[in-house]
Amino acid sequence: MWDFLLQGFEVALTPLNLGLAFIGALLGTLFGALPGIGPINGIAILMPLAYTLGLPAESALILLAGIYTGAEYGGRISSILLNVPGDAGAVMTTLDGHPLAKKGLAGPALGLSAVSSFIGATIAIVGLTLFAPLLAAFAVNFGPAEYFALMVFAFSSLSVMMGKDPIKTLIGAVLGVMLATVGVDSGTGVMRFTGGMPELYDGIDFVVLVIGMFAISEILLMLEHDLTKGGGMAPVGRVMVSMKEVMFCKGAILRSSLIGFVIGVLPGTGASVAGAVSYTTEKRISDREGTFGHGDMRGLAAPEAANNASAAGSFVPMLTLGIPGSGTTAILLGALMLYNITPGPMLFTEQPRVAGGLIASLYIGNVMLLLLNLPLAGLFARVLTVPRWALVPGIALLAFVGVYQLHSDLMAIFLMLAIGVLGYVLRKFGFSLAPIVLGFVLGELMEENLRRALAMSGGDVAVLFQSTLAIGLWCAAVAVVVVPLVVSGWKRRRASA
Amino acid sequence: MTLRRLLTPALLSFGLLGSAQLHAATIDKPECLAPAKPGGGYDLTCRLAATTLQQTGLLDKAMMVNYMPGGIGAVAYNHVMGVRDDDPNLIVAASTGAALNLAEGKFGKYDGSEVRWLGAVATDYGAVVVRDDAPWQTLDDLMKALKKDPQGIVFGAGGTVGSQDWMKAALIAQADEVDPRKLRYVSFEGGGESLAALLGNHIQVFTGDLSEIESQLEGGKIRVLAALSDQRQEGAFADIPTAKEQGYDVEWPIWRGYYMGENVSDGAYQAWLDVFTKLVDTEEFKQARHARGLFPFTKLGTEFEQYVQERIAHFKSLSQEMGLIK
Amino acid sequence: MTRLGDRLLGMILLVLAAVYAASTTQMEVPFSYDPLGPKGFPFVLAALLVVLAVVLLLRPALGEPWPRGVLLAKRGVLLAKVVAVLVVLTLYALAFSSLGYLLSSALAIFALAWLFNAGSLKALVCAVAMALGSYALFVYALDISLPVGQLFGGR
Repeated sequence: MWDFLLQGFEVALTPLNLGLAFIGALLGTLFGALPGIGPINGIAILMPLAYTLGLPAESALILLAGIYTGAEYGGRISSILLNVPGDAGAVMTTLDGHPLAKKGLAGPALGLSAVSSFIGATIAIVGLTLFAPLLAAFAVNFGPAEYFALMVFAFSSLSVMMGKDPIKTLIGAVLGVMLATVGVDSGTGVMRFTGGMPELYDGIDFVVLVIGMFAISEILLMLEHDLTKGGGMAPVGRVMVSMKEVMFCKGAILRSSLIGFVIGVLPGTGASVAGAVSYTTEKRISDREGTFGHGDMRGLAAPEAANNASAAGSFVPMLTLGIPGSGTTAILLGALMLYNITPGPMLFTEQPRVAGGLIASLYIGNVMLLLLNLPLAGLFARVLTVPRWALVPGIALLAFVGVYQLHSDLMAIFLMLAIGVLGYVLRKFGFSLAPIVLGFVLGELMEENLRRALAMSGGDVAVLFQSTLAIGLWCAAVAVVVVPLVVSGWKRRRASA
Repeated sequence: MTLRRLLTPALLSFGLLGSAQLHAATIDKPECLAPAKPGGGYDLTCRLAATTLQQTGLLDKAMMVNYMPGGIGAVAYNHVMGVRDDDPNLIVAASTGAALNLAEGKFGKYDGSEVRWLGAVATDYGAVVVRDDAPWQTLDDLMKALKKDPQGIVFGAGGTVGSQDWMKAALIAQADEVDPRKLRYVSFEGGGESLAALLGNHIQVFTGDLSEIESQLEGGKIRVLAALSDQRQEGAFADIPTAKEQGYDVEWPIWRGYYMGENVSDGAYQAWLDVFTKLVDTEEFKQARHARGLFPFTKLGTEFEQYVQERIAHFKSLSQEMGLIK
Repeated sequence: MTRLGDRLLGMILLVLAAVYAASTTQMEVPFSYDPLGPKGFPFVLAALLVVLAVVLLLRPALGEPWPRGVLLAKRGVLLAKVVAVLVVLTLYALAFSSLGYLLSSALAIFALAWLFNAGSLKALVCAVAMALGSYALFVYALDISLPVGQLFGGR
């Protein structure tokens, strides 16, 4: 069974293909770092190019895989430096990544997140190489009932993120879910809360939400720092991450890689869910001193390992079943079809050169990304030395271009601004943004899958508790809420005794 | 310089780009607007034209592809009606779905008679798909079982009530004299999720498209009971019977085409029509269409205009019949 | 936030929940395959929000009041600046496709830099350099199409 991989490495290690892997990695990092602009843009540009250049299928794939994995690396950069997530998977990265930058640790934070990304992706690629067919069978067992239970579990994990003001965390989550209900109802096609505006039929775009909430409100908050001369960045100190710091996070990285990989394998969930579940899990396990959210290295390493693992994990259903696990793999699938390659059950046996080449290129692209991103960390960290009067216009440009290139539409920009004002006001009222965004992502999946399950069963609620998988997830959901309560109660009794 | 522009001279010198540069009078900045996010069917429709127009050299300049998602196409339609109603350079991707949405009144006050329909150049077809271990060998088996117990079989596909994917399921039920509202139907996010649900036995019948199940045909995990096309398709699909030949008159082509603004001059409309008339007969186009999993389907100019209006009227009466609109 | 702030927020949330629930009742549903339908989930959300808002109204305030210390004195300036930035961004949005990317961005950059105390010369240099530089990056390197501007013959 190793033949195809060996053959794949032979294909991938030619000078041309190594060069393409490098170009892909570099462009991918760049696309990922720009908020709103993602791997889809990169692939849309390079696919026709590769096609007209007459590159062989393997070479084109290597280029595209580089962009895809590179974008997941790049997403963390603006999360850490600007508190603006570069892509969907990097929302949780802001929580500890940006506070680290504020402490003057931007360089090590970028380095550590590159290392975690590398480990996460590598673990996932190994998992993909060894267990792809097996995992595919597991993935299709996940039906609406199981996804619903998974979402209940994810929401109950939110209980660790209650922070200082639990009520506001809950309100934020509810507001996020409400925002997600805007648009065409995915079951009946009924318009909900659109006010008759066609711009809202498809719902609020995640990119518009995130850019508005984070980037625009950040600009307004900076005004305040400008007046008080406070809230600025500590000088950029050390650039490289130390081995000690990486070892400190090793548990977080390994656990999150596994979580991210499994969530990535499921066709119905992607990098944003992976980041959320891994962060909350890690916080529950490791956050003994309450340092998460204030610049804890582990809180940065966890979502980064997870979102990269999830990106690689979504190749499993694509390669083995021909089912795209994410928006981007859907485009890759289209690209493969242009080369007359139809991923699916027969790919590994009928076109081992392509399957092997792709997997080998994932390994190589990943190494290249690490080598590229470690030295770049220092360069990127210099963004923080840019004075505020130059940084703010830069953020505004990125926000506008990010939304405009997706929508070519004025309304989307106004919506972004409105959400930005909402985000600013909520932050002033003491809300944190993460629960809102999580509510937005998870709430939609939760409603859809609950209703799908009920439509399947004709309204019988028993369908939610029929499979072992679902029951397991329900137990886990109950456990994450109940166990900490019991433990803290027990501790309190011991302390008073 | 963009990478693409940088490389064009090099490509030209290799003779990769066509030499027959035809002059299209009014088209100097060709643009295709995909009324969706990148990556979907509308993107594919635009890129199919953009790539092949470049390969064949039928247009002087490379066609830009831009995106305007929102309102299942309504935002772009409004935009074309309001802002770019006379733009000679702009074509907008459209499909059966756009006609269906227009018929169901989802584009607000517009009903499809406003824009200039340019032509359809390719199509996909609906398909009725079950697992390979399903008890039904033919469409007829499925229909008999459905008639006996409409609640006993779970349908699923990637669209809401009123969408194309749902219409396919509803038409099948109707052909079986079962009220579409009495079905069990689960809507997923796209064909991929639906296929996963079928493989996992969460749904029993997937009303998808031929192109999206092509990769599954050889794997032997699914069985296609019927293609919703007027006749059998070639190649990998040759063994799949149509619904019609099994005695059920259900067809669902998902054509892919383009429209232009309502006040575009006849000259510009004709120029685009000439370009597409030539394009659809080129080898490059035929190959590209096939590579994207699409089938031949050519209706241009007046013929297309009439076809679209006839379809919209048909969909309107269907939706009324099924209780979707009043 | 102060007690007053939380009370105000609680009130706003109650109104929001009411509007949201009212809007839910307005939906016309031809038919639904699941018993919840498109209305079920929104009603639950509205109810949840009501409960949370009531808790917020009744409980004592948490956290530090805002604006804090230094800022209290400059509250007027801050508010004026927030409004100014929003006006600039709104005008930028309006000008984005009519004036085109280059011109509208240069103007917006100048205004924003100036609002963040850059000084006119610095703001001008920043505006020209950043508008041109970003245009080159987006259009030439990344192949993203940006509006040329109706003034310059684009649309």
